[in-house]
Amino acid sequence: MTENQKKILEMLSQNKISTEDAYQLLNLVESGESRQESTAKAEAEAKAKPKYLRVTVLPSPGSEHSSDFDRVNVRVPLSLIRAGIKLTSLIPSDAMDKVNEALTDKGINFDVRNVKPEDIEELIGALADMEVDVITGRGENVKVFAE
Amino acid sequence: MNRPPMLMHLRFHNDNRKFGLWLPLFILIPLVLVVLIILSPLILIAVLILWPSGWGKLAMCVLKAAWGLFCSMRGLEVDVQNRNEMVYISVV
Repeated sequence: MTENQKKILEMLSQNKISTEDAYQLLNLVESGESRQESTAKAEAEAKAKPKYLRVTVLPSPGSEHSSDFDRVNVRVPLSLIRAGIKLTSLIPSDAMDKVNEALTDKGINFDVRNVKPEDIEELIGALADMEVDVITGRGENVKVFAE
Repeated sequence: MNRPPMLMHLRFHNDNRKFGLWLPLFILIPLVLVVLIILSPLILIAVLILWPSGWGKLAMCVLKAAWGLFCSMRGLEVDVQNRNEMVYISVV
């Protein structure tokens, strides 16, 4: 029970307000709190939702001759990935069959036609938790993460 | 849909040459729109002719998808460099 609800009940017990007024006030307080909760939830979700996929290849901190290494820093908006995946719906069915055949030849049993917009959203949502951090034998640090 | 990108920054350099360019996409977009408006009767006729075969609808979908792809490019950044060469592309 919140402070506001307690106050309303106290006022009711002291006969300062009628039962009907108390009922209306309690309803108002509850709806206000639920609105605040939903706003806070939406803000938290927006914060957690990644916007970019980042790929970096940098020399690892302790590596010698770090100036000899290639440096890569790529930031891809996830909306671009979304738009790109949506383009698969424009691929003619003949070409789609060829894509599926090529995937099967490589040992990937996957039908590109089964990719639905909901799956894409789920996949992109899951990227938020993904982080790849590899230090190669050459002393390069490869990182792939969403931000 | 996202807002279309406003600027594209390109920078390349190697041992001999340096090249940098700020491409004002916000100027190019109105120009492209003007060209599209001028060509719109021809595009409409082509789409209507191709509609029964299914290619007209596909062409419209491709145009829509291409615009969506262009708008999604905002925030793209590619920076690749080694000791002698550098390529930097940024879409703002």
